[in-house]
Amino acid sequence: MKTVDVILTDIEQILRDFQGREYSGTMTAETSFFGDLGFASIDAVVLGETLQEKYGVTFPFHELLAELSQQGAQDLTLGEMATYLHRYLEAVGED
Amino acid sequence: MPRISLGNLTFHYQQTGDGPDVVLLHGFTSNLAMWMFSPLLPALSTKFRVTSYDLRGHGMTDAPPSGYTSAEMARDFAQLHDALNLKPAYLVGHSFGGVVGMHAALLFPDQVAGVILSDSYFPGLSAVEPNMEQTAVWQGLRDAFEKAGEELGATVDFRRLFEIVARCSADQMKIVQDTLGPESSRWFSQMPQLARTNAAEEAFATAGLDAAALVRVQQPVVALYDEYSPFQATFRFLVEHLPNAQGDIVPEARHLALLENPEGFVQRVRYHLRRLADIKDVAMAAEAPMSESKITDG
Repeated sequence: MKTVDVILTDIEQILRDFQGREYSGTMTAETSFFGDLGFASIDAVVLGETLQEKYGVTFPFHELLAELSQQGAQDLTLGEMATYLHRYLEAVGED
Repeated sequence: MPRISLGNLTFHYQQTGDGPDVVLLHGFTSNLAMWMFSPLLPALSTKFRVTSYDLRGHGMTDAPPSGYTSAEMARDFAQLHDALNLKPAYLVGHSFGGVVGMHAALLFPDQVAGVILSDSYFPGLSAVEPNMEQTAVWQGLRDAFEKAGEELGATVDFRRLFEIVARCSADQMKIVQDTLGPESSRWFSQMPQLARTNAAEEAFATAGLDAAALVRVQQPVVALYDEYSPFQATFRFLVEHLPNAQGDIVPEARHLALLENPEGFVQRVRYHLRRLADIKDVAMAAEAPMSESKITDG
């Protein structure tokens, strides 16, 4: 089972070479997708599709967004995404 | 990332689930993110094969200079339908996506089994919807841009909106998006790309889909409009004049039901799709719509 840190590294690697755009600056668990990286909604689609191809599962991202909305969050950090992916992969028994 | 070449253009699409075909058509200036990150996909994919795609000029699909009328986009749909070997499909279209869906039902009846319209405005029904030019949605946009020092004008003008978004600084756009909420970035991100095309004009052309054409659509149509819809006259026209239409209302929504009342929207879409596709099960019996609901002046 991949740890949260490994998944975080996977996300960072995807973003280093991302649809012709390259996020070369420092990325940490606290880096936010929309505020810090300037994500647009279609970037989120591309990242979501890439993650689904990498892990071989379809993630119900709406559950993560609903959680964030309930918390009043306006953005999503890489760490929150990694934690969510780890939790979901653990629940479905995927590596 | 799934892509498919249709003519000279490459389209970005997604497909999931198994069963009768459903195709999701997003609205003008949106993209398939609205479906991908919503609860609608998992709700439908247990009973249907669900295909969504970025309309031309949107998302990761190519953006040619022209070809943005509902008639041309209906042809895109027909090509996609052929290329993916879909069966006659149920189309769910939000706003302009519903216009594309109805145009496809008219032009390509063998490929469309039915249409669910989510709060669509039809340029060809401007005579029955005279107040579209001054909708509350536009006034909200105008107020937000005014805070950022830009004047959109009192009436709907997408050309002007696209050009303003394309030239706004990041600080200005932050003011706008902070005013309208984080979801607004979903639409604004498309606009600089659309500003380089004829989409602002072409998407609002009747393109042959006038009232006389709409009433020739024979497939079942669900006019699923929002309780506080700006397009109440359109809702009434569709329900009263289409040969095979049923009206239904999503409570507590103003034009973006999937965001404003996702549970209510998903429940109704799932119910109507199961009804249209004749899928009878326990879940359907528990999901009868509240058809006696009324649209309320927003």
